[in-house]
Amino acid sequence: MFRIHFGRLSKRFAAGFLCLTMMVFLLAGCSRQEQEADEGPVTITIWHDKEEEVAAVLQDALNQLAPDIIVKLERKDGLTDSLKMVGNDPNAAPDMYFFAHDKIGVYAEMGILAPITEFLEQDVLDGCIPMTLEAASYKGEVYQLPLYFETLLFMYNRRYMKDEEVPSTTEELYTYMQENTRGGHYGFVEQHSTAYYAAGWLHAFDGYILKEDGEPGLGDEAVLRALEYHKKFVELMPVEGEYATVNTLFREGKAHSTIGGPWLVAAVREAGIDLGIASMPVVEETGKPISPYSGVQGVHVLRVAAEKKHDAVKKVLEALADDSVGTSMARASGCAPARISCYDDPQVAEDDMVMAMYETAQNAEPMPNMPEMDVMWTVAEKLLVDVNMSGKDVRSSAEDAQEQALKLIQQMR
Amino acid sequence: MKKKSKNTLWAYLCSSPSLILILLIIIFPILYTAYISFTNMNVYHWFDFEFVGLKNYRDALFVFDSGFLSALLRTVLWTVVSMILQLVIAFVLASLLNIQNFRGRRIYKTLLMIPWAMPGYVSILLWKTGMFNSQFGLLNQWLEKLGMNPIRFLAGDVSAFICCSVVNLWLALPFMIMIMDGALQAVDRSCYESAVLDGAGWFQRAVYITIPAIRQIIAPSVLITVFTTFKQFDVVYLLTCQSGARTGANIHTILTYAYENAFITNNYGYSSAISILIFVILIGFSLLTGRRKKER
Repeated sequence: MFRIHFGRLSKRFAAGFLCLTMMVFLLAGCSRQEQEADEGPVTITIWHDKEEEVAAVLQDALNQLAPDIIVKLERKDGLTDSLKMVGNDPNAAPDMYFFAHDKIGVYAEMGILAPITEFLEQDVLDGCIPMTLEAASYKGEVYQLPLYFETLLFMYNRRYMKDEEVPSTTEELYTYMQENTRGGHYGFVEQHSTAYYAAGWLHAFDGYILKEDGEPGLGDEAVLRALEYHKKFVELMPVEGEYATVNTLFREGKAHSTIGGPWLVAAVREAGIDLGIASMPVVEETGKPISPYSGVQGVHVLRVAAEKKHDAVKKVLEALADDSVGTSMARASGCAPARISCYDDPQVAEDDMVMAMYETAQNAEPMPNMPEMDVMWTVAEKLLVDVNMSGKDVRSSAEDAQEQALKLIQQMR
Repeated sequence: MKKKSKNTLWAYLCSSPSLILILLIIIFPILYTAYISFTNMNVYHWFDFEFVGLKNYRDALFVFDSGFLSALLRTVLWTVVSMILQLVIAFVLASLLNIQNFRGRRIYKTLLMIPWAMPGYVSILLWKTGMFNSQFGLLNQWLEKLGMNPIRFLAGDVSAFICCSVVNLWLALPFMIMIMDGALQAVDRSCYESAVLDGAGWFQRAVYITIPAIRQIIAPSVLITVFTTFKQFDVVYLLTCQSGARTGANIHTILTYAYENAFITNNYGYSSAISILIFVILIGFSLLTGRRKKER
């Protein structure tokens, strides 16, 4: 009898204990972080999504600000979505973030970004390549301190394409493709139906996915001409033009040349390819080279930090604006610095990949940083697939895409 | 009476953390989504959004155009085909696993569970590149060896639908096999022995003993799988319309269609209205299924 009673009691106790424990764990996540003390060193948190080498260069440069300013670089997966959620929450948002420029418009419209000019003098920014400053600006304000940029490059396998065979025009490239695309080999491959990659062809015809005024340009005659012209190249490439297929073909020596990003270089060299990098071929009809998008990576300041930690943020930005940061990143990771004076460094000037990107930057178009671009990637890609892979009529596909883009942009508001 | 109410109170108290958890992770998001659907929350009104009444619902109806209707029909077809295949194949495999004195049972059971152990995202992309790719895919390598031209499995609507169904089967079968296997083991063996004595064959035993016996056990799992399949997004999106890797097939389900025609706009009010409408469709589907079950 006693045992039964004791058993019931212990069960009740266990149930109550488990219930209490679960409640504690449940509510633990709701606790708030303690506010930073007013005195002592100021801590600046920077979210980023970069590789270790780049982050290490930044951390080294910013460690010099210690002990007054402690800078913590935190790698964050899903950085852009996290910023949307907590961008204006002083307890959860970082003070700054290090990311590409293309989300500036979204965050500026949300009101979570502070213009960089609140901290840096104009002459500091004047030292940057104009293209990078253009990328960092939205509605007349500069929201990013550009550190380095990436753009697509024309790469070739020297085993098959000799330096003197590198095409200087797209027609030469087409002839090379006709002569060399056979037996499982391709003269040239690219991600032909991905908007980021195909944009270079559109720009060479003065066409745009999204115009400066935020209007979609998919229905423009320039885009139609570019798509028509591009089609004949696509016919000599594998139909599946996605990242995995294109890069594997090039890495395995089955494609003689490609258009790819600097992120591809390490893997290609590791695969034993004798890699050559050249300028983009020029479209004879327009006299313009294939002009790909460029992505400018840099540091942005959150409005919450701008108000509370103005002086510390200013010192961090000044430290990052130093030429040594750009040159160190170029040496460590092959990044193309945003500051013009970095290219005077002999080691930077000798790096063929960095210099190729610098050269391409003269014609590259910064990715639009307007919020409207978020819908344009999908619409433009659908158009490219319709034309290149499904064989649909260029004009009617472009008109449909333009209509769809206008509808989606209208739905954004 | 007093003791009974005390026990009831105690039971509620003990289950309160779970109830709060359910409230926080299931009920609250639904209510919050419904609330957002009546506001103009978007990139331009992120923190200063206002109540806009039924505007988002009116706009959402424009998404429910012919494209949406065909996506809805395709989703129903997708669910029906997937469920029939899953049930039949899982039943056959589970029956084979339950053959008396079958020595390799454990090994086969472990092998059949492997797709479940792998992250779905990885499995889908492996199928896409490793099996269906026209350059490197195993299927095309075989075709090449046979002297045939490569096939773009994911480019045509019909072939892409079949490929998606196959991948979905690969992902979903382990769960269904496990449930079927458990249910089959619960069936009284003496029934089979009597049936064998009466001269019943495998098919008759399956129809008159096994299926009626396991129906009630597997019913909740089947219902769950119906909904999982109905609101499937990953398989169709990753195989045919992933950003940067589209294949040209147009086999949108309601979720992939809503994603491409609403969610990418960053207009959370508008997207929430569409989510709520899809939620209503699913609840309607659930009520319909529940009523039919009751009628039986």
